[in-house]
Amino acid sequence: MAVCVAVIGKDNSPLYIGGIGSDTGSDSELSRQWLVHTALDALEERLSSANSNNTAPNATTPRPDLRDLYLGLLYSTDMHKIYGFVTNTRIKFVLVTSSTSPSGSNIRDAEVRTALRRLHALYADAICNPFHLPGEQIISQKFDKQVKNLMLNNV
Amino acid sequence: MASQPSDYTDFPPEIILKPLALIGLSGLDAVNNAIHKEIWDAFANNRRPDRASVRFKLLNNTFEFPVVKPKRNSYEWYIPKGILKKNWIQKRISYIPAVVVLFYDMEWNDPQWNEKIIECASKVQSIRAAVEGHATRVAVAVIQSGQSPPPSEYMLGAERAQALCSACEIQSKSLFVLPHSDHLMGYIIRLENAFYDIAQNYYHHETKNIKQHKDHLNKTTHQYLFVRHQFKLGFYNELKQDLSTAHKHYMHAYNNLLETKVVDTNINEVRTVAGYLNYKLCKLLFALNLPRDAIAQLKSHIERYRNRIGSTELLFEHYAWVSRQYSAFGELFDEAIKAGLPGIQSQHPGFYYQYAAQFTVKRRQAMRSVCTEATKYPSPSDPLEGLIEFYGQRPWRPGRISADPHDPQREQAAILALQYNERVFNHSMMIISYLGCAISHFKTFHSPRMRKQLVVEMANEYYYSADYDYIQLSIEALSKYIQVPNNDKDRIFKNIILVLNLNIPGPEPDIPAHSQNKALEAWQSAIDKEPLVITVDMVNISSFLEVKPRFKQQHYRMDETVEVEIYVKLTYVTVLEAVIAFLTVSSASETIDIPISHDGKNLLTLESGKVKRFLCQFKPNPHDRGSDLCIKNISFILGSDKKRKIIMKVEENKTFERTIHPELLQFIHSPKMDYEFDSIVPLTVTSITSRECRLSINIQNASPALQGEWFPTNFTITNNENHSVYNMKITLSLLSSPDNPNPESVTELSLKEGESQTQPVNVTVGTINKSSESSVLFYLKTNRTATATVQMKVSYFIDLPEISKLECVKDFTTQITVIKPFEVSTSFVATNFQPITKCFVDNPFIVMPQIKILSPWDLSIVDTELEMVDCFVYSDSEKPQSCIKGLEVAEKNIASDAICIQAKYKPKDIPTRVGLYNIKWKRKSNADGQFIMSSTALSALPIDICPIGLEVNYPEVVEVQTSVPLKCILIGKSHKPIRLSITVEGTDFYMFSGYKKFSVTVPPNDRVELCYNIHPLLTGNTTPPRLKATIIGDNLYQEVIKELFENIFPQNIFVLPKYNK
Repeated sequence: MAVCVAVIGKDNSPLYIGGIGSDTGSDSELSRQWLVHTALDALEERLSSANSNNTAPNATTPRPDLRDLYLGLLYSTDMHKIYGFVTNTRIKFVLVTSSTSPSGSNIRDAEVRTALRRLHALYADAICNPFHLPGEQIISQKFDKQVKNLMLNNV
Repeated sequence: MASQPSDYTDFPPEIILKPLALIGLSGLDAVNNAIHKEIWDAFANNRRPDRASVRFKLLNNTFEFPVVKPKRNSYEWYIPKGILKKNWIQKRISYIPAVVVLFYDMEWNDPQWNEKIIECASKVQSIRAAVEGHATRVAVAVIQSGQSPPPSEYMLGAERAQALCSACEIQSKSLFVLPHSDHLMGYIIRLENAFYDIAQNYYHHETKNIKQHKDHLNKTTHQYLFVRHQFKLGFYNELKQDLSTAHKHYMHAYNNLLETKVVDTNINEVRTVAGYLNYKLCKLLFALNLPRDAIAQLKSHIERYRNRIGSTELLFEHYAWVSRQYSAFGELFDEAIKAGLPGIQSQHPGFYYQYAAQFTVKRRQAMRSVCTEATKYPSPSDPLEGLIEFYGQRPWRPGRISADPHDPQREQAAILALQYNERVFNHSMMIISYLGCAISHFKTFHSPRMRKQLVVEMANEYYYSADYDYIQLSIEALSKYIQVPNNDKDRIFKNIILVLNLNIPGPEPDIPAHSQNKALEAWQSAIDKEPLVITVDMVNISSFLEVKPRFKQQHYRMDETVEVEIYVKLTYVTVLEAVIAFLTVSSASETIDIPISHDGKNLLTLESGKVKRFLCQFKPNPHDRGSDLCIKNISFILGSDKKRKIIMKVEENKTFERTIHPELLQFIHSPKMDYEFDSIVPLTVTSITSRECRLSINIQNASPALQGEWFPTNFTITNNENHSVYNMKITLSLLSSPDNPNPESVTELSLKEGESQTQPVNVTVGTINKSSESSVLFYLKTNRTATATVQMKVSYFIDLPEISKLECVKDFTTQITVIKPFEVSTSFVATNFQPITKCFVDNPFIVMPQIKILSPWDLSIVDTELEMVDCFVYSDSEKPQSCIKGLEVAEKNIASDAICIQAKYKPKDIPTRVGLYNIKWKRKSNADGQFIMSSTALSALPIDICPIGLEVNYPEVVEVQTSVPLKCILIGKSHKPIRLSITVEGTDFYMFSGYKKFSVTVPPNDRVELCYNIHPLLTGNTTPPRLKATIIGDNLYQEVIKELFENIFPQNIFVLPKYNK
């Protein structure tokens, strides 16, 4: 079960942070935000190394879009595992699973990948809203509901 | 790296230290004997890491080995009291050497050989007696002067070495010779390796002994011994430096320990030992370069012991233990990285320090939940007193195993004591220290956000531990960037004023009543005490004062007054009175404080929302010429009229450069009557330059200068200052320019004509009074026709009313154009002044150098001379005088010289030049001065050989109708006779008599004369009859002969008409 999903803009501003779990106190809210925030360290490191790898061998060819958007496990703590996903427009998705709960500890990589792809689709739907300004926080209730569903059901 | 915080979970040093084989050195008197001291130092001091893993211990006569316990034959009735004895490792690493080496001074040819050998043997015996029971090896090292050859090549030595071995009852391979002459270090290292071998042998023997016990043990009662023995095996192997075997045994010990039954009474012992074993395992894995295995080991270790909590009353001990496991691992990881292991972003020591901090937080939580009752340390008897024999055992029930009943009252008191100790323990310091370690690692491994999170946690921790500064926080809270409800800011400001007035500030609104009382007490005891002056460093905080200082100019001259404008804006709604401010400026030589005044008053008043401008003026220090002045900080003293003062130090750089983007400035609303505070750009650095120098220079010379001459230049310095100047020095030097690089190589400067001086040329002028002047004459000589730039650097001192002895410097330059005085070109002509293109050996010709004068100044040619190369000589027997000697020439004149020379022989290589043409000259105006010699190379003329020489005698002028002789002499110059066929080419102007066509033989080195009479028929310029010759047969010189005859026979003879009387 995912405990937290975050959408982060290309300049690392949070666009959406959604969390579910038994405790909804401000403390766990804060720690969740910290988790997502610190995951950016690992994300950026991956992106910069991926970039240099791609451009180094033959700089003349355009960067191949074949790069996997799913970045896999970014890092894990005692309690959580944190996965990353980056769209072609540098929108970052972070998914946090709890390694203490039975469903979260045995999660397979493929499941996380699917969930993040679905999240990508949901995100694309949400920003298709003509009233949404790109770069603004996503306040769509529908999106929120769908993401929460995703966290509960799929993973 | 901050050092690890310590508490009772610290690992004992013997666990942390790397075990080294212990070798005892006996018989060395390192205090009184210089040679012994040298040997001991070579063994024990300055050990480099590449030397053998041994530790040397100096054993004196009184050293006592630990008593050997009686050997146990059966373990049947033996019940171990604990797992690991605390003194076992200590004994192995410092009291029981693997080898004892006896050092003994003895030469093989010692006169008292017999006495010596007996003494040595008795010493060996006493060592044997001392180590009785231990398997410690004994070796003997004989210290010798190094004169005698080694025993293998020296009969007496070999014999006596053998005798010594048998007397001491040692094997011959345990006898060593140490010559102490040269190369001591080399011998020492060889000895050390030999001792190390023996030590390894000993430890191997010990491991065998332990392995023998294994058969006697059974799992029911001796579970502890399984752990203990495997630990010992591991340790012995570590002493042997057999790391992988050591790891294997430690792993066995660890697994055996996992199988022991854990109850509340032995939990502490089991987990303590497990911690030590895990530490050893991880350390060895890092040493074996298996970092992944080390990490996996730690993970499984924590996983296994995570739930072995023990009694809940001592829950905090469990967390303390976990935290220590992490921090110790972090330290090991860190050491491995320092030794070259690469860390990565997702795996580095920082994480382990972070875990250590997290578990210390848990430890504190546990303490809060279980230690609330423990307000007093149990008395009168201290339950924690008492010696314990085993690691991790409790002092109040030493050596008891779980089955024993225990004293519940004592148990209770002990727990209370532990809880009390935990209550007074400073957890925050520990957490902060762990976080500090973690932060530095996260910084190293590119995790800025992770680091930020830890910094926030650290700040939280400082807050918990109430480690903050009331004044600093209050001042910071008044900043416009910090949002607190407005009346709260008023309260905070009032509190600051109260503190300034030595009154107790009002309580913070939301703290509980009992804390309020406590705070009140604390304030009462501190309010009128030292320190009365509180300095708040504003580097990292912003507050109600915004300051922008700027120098009015980017450069100041030495004699100018430096002016600093300081703009101060008070952003908090209040009026601050009686503020003293000063500016701290630093330069290369000093740091000074300058008070800031306003309308002549030092006490300033600041009003809210208004920007005040203050001007600070000061004179620069004479020592700071050429350096930068820099505003360090600006200090504001609040409450300067009161006993307590607060100094706010606004630092340079950070605070001054507010991070408002220039593009955003237009959105800031600020009243127009204010100084445009936001648009003021601070300028915190200015440079001090020299004072403007009021000297003038007048340069006189007869430019352009001529190449090669000592060209005089006179310059006059006039003092236009209002004071006299003194200690004036002038330095003359040449400056390079694009068209004249490296002028020093071809140009000389001098104060005296004709004498070179080293550059730069220094002139001491001394004092020049007001509006008087001083002249200096210098000479310049250059061999390059380019513009020479001469720099005259004038330095002097002046006493001004405001500054005395001020040094001033001024550079003057002058450009001197250098031109060639003349150009020399050459032509070669035959003796009949016909131009020639080659010359023949022994055939004279004339060199005509032509000197074209380029100098605008009249010159006088003193003398000229042709310096010929070897193959030429003067045709005259002595050197002729120059025909243009003493000639005076002006611009565009051409002076022609003529020198008759001839070739002596034909050189192998064609010479590149005829010779050097030296012209000695001087300026006509400088008649008394030295002459200058200029040399020009004259171009070459090819030299050829001709087998015959030819001389023609004829008159140059004849009268018409008068017969004159024309004699032609042929000279044979080769070794062979030459036959010529000669024809005479007659002309209409002449009649002649003689053979017209005939052949003649010119004998070698002899001559033939041909005589003709010619009779001119017409007047005027006439061509006389000419002879032409061809060689009969041999054709090699045909052309040369033809050329020779053409050149030498006269082209014309002038015929005068007959004068009729």
